[in-house]
Amino acid sequence: MANDAKPILEADGVVKRFGGIRAVDGATMDVKEGSITALIGPNGAGKTTLFNVLTGFYKPDRGSITFQGRQIAGRAPYAIARSGMVRTFQITKALARMPVLDNMTLAAQDHPGEKLGNLLFRPAAWRRREREVREEAMEVLSVFNLDEKSGEYAGTLSGGQRKLLELARALMTRPRLLMLDEPMAGINPTLGRRLLDHMQRLRTEEGVTFLFIEHDMEVVMGHSDRVIVMAEGRVIADGSPEEVRADEQVIDAYLGGGA
Amino acid sequence: MLPFALEFSAFTDAGFWVGVGVFAGTYVLLALGLQLNVGFTGISNFGQAGFMAVGAYTMGVLTVESGFSFWLALPLSIIAAMLFGILVGLPSLRLREDYFAITTLAAAEVVRISARNLKDVTNGSEGLSCSQTGDFVCFDDTWRDVSDGIESFLQSLGWSDPESLIPLLLVVWGFVIVLTIVLKRITDTPWGRVLRAVREDEDAARALGKNPLVYKLQSLAIAAAIAAVAGWFLAFNIASIAPTEFLPIFTFFAYAVLILGGLASYWGLIVGSAILWTLLEATRFIELPIDADQEAALRYAIVGLVIILLMAFRPQGMFGKREEMVLGE
Repeated sequence: MANDAKPILEADGVVKRFGGIRAVDGATMDVKEGSITALIGPNGAGKTTLFNVLTGFYKPDRGSITFQGRQIAGRAPYAIARSGMVRTFQITKALARMPVLDNMTLAAQDHPGEKLGNLLFRPAAWRRREREVREEAMEVLSVFNLDEKSGEYAGTLSGGQRKLLELARALMTRPRLLMLDEPMAGINPTLGRRLLDHMQRLRTEEGVTFLFIEHDMEVVMGHSDRVIVMAEGRVIADGSPEEVRADEQVIDAYLGGGA
Repeated sequence: MLPFALEFSAFTDAGFWVGVGVFAGTYVLLALGLQLNVGFTGISNFGQAGFMAVGAYTMGVLTVESGFSFWLALPLSIIAAMLFGILVGLPSLRLREDYFAITTLAAAEVVRISARNLKDVTNGSEGLSCSQTGDFVCFDDTWRDVSDGIESFLQSLGWSDPESLIPLLLVVWGFVIVLTIVLKRITDTPWGRVLRAVREDEDAARALGKNPLVYKLQSLAIAAAIAAVAGWFLAFNIASIAPTEFLPIFTFFAYAVLILGGLASYWGLIVGSAILWTLLEATRFIELPIDADQEAALRYAIVGLVIILLMAFRPQGMFGKREEMVLGE
């Protein structure tokens, strides 16, 4: 990916405190449009907290966050998701007591049938949209080999299938930036490879940008075009996989050498 | 007299069953709102008796004290209950589920205790039925006319002497059927799908661009509206609107109906309510060598026992879906 691509997401001096602990301590980073960017760092580096701040689940104590040029720091998570920045969770949040298909159709944006008034006054409009959404959901499910499970409760899926469902569901929102928190954790290598292939394809075919947290270095080095490294709540390195791998500070952080 | 005997004659009395039917129908209405809140949205509304009180008192006060037409007072009482639901929900629906439950319970008690103390408006603990001054107006004058109309219509069909509560029974159950169908239809839509997602996991719903607060408020306002309707029928049945009709125990009766019928099943509520009220009313006729207070307490104990047995052997209720129970854990 060209380095001169403009950033889709920029965070500047983001701080998030929990009592006396600064979980994110002045993180500054950006994600280039159309890139697959990995966010790595030792346990407790603040990666998931940063994710939560970026997506609105935590309010930052300080700092600015801009997405597609608009300030989003402190905005509600649902508003950020609607603007095209959609996340998944480290521990999957498949909606267990809902069918797989409903998990998918739920994610469609601008659905008139989700407004109470439209149920009464625009029945034809929402039914038409619902048919479109269902068709689209089945298409996306078939890409992930989940179409045969569409009628089953999401709670009956295996852990790996739930991960895929969560990714498929996030895609149903038609995001511009997809943020995945440990997408490979707990899934078998075959499914994992398929997931990575999907990411590459979506980036090239639909121009979706990815930011993902990952611990598997082989995946990070082999599949991302940029790596951001966090330690102790700060971004300590940022560059191509090769650059990051050779960075002294990164090696220190991982080996526990200390500053 | 035998120390333990049942007066079976009571069960062959049509009046007994009509009375049970009116209460059962009223409590299906009260539980319909809970089904929407608890079964579909995952919010524990413990204030249903309070919303019922707001509905009944608004209707009563507007007709008796303010001279409003009955037909205008009815929709206004629904609006009042919905506004009260939104007022209670706005600050408290952001809280954790258990705090929300406590807040709704407290709000319902605020309504009941205020009604008891605002003697000028509500006639205090004696209850509101007719105006004390000026023209003699009762809140149920128009309802009595409607009821008489239905009765003479039934007589014209050849039913020589219907029980006096038959018109109320028919109207209550008419509302039960219509509102059950309406709720079933609106929850079987993309809107209902968002409610279920909020029930399952609010953060997942947020991450997909849904604002849970909006959906929870709508769910609560609809439950309050239906509770107001239940409040009218309770008032017509008792012919008075008094604070003791809106004790928290009546919210829990509605919960008992919900537990018996099963979560996320609308039609289950009808069977649940029929069983609850048959039990509650039939146990009146068990003669035991104990005094009336003890016997009243025993009735609740029997209902409690039935619920415990049901939980032990059929935790999803009679019509709930077992998968939804198991997968939720």
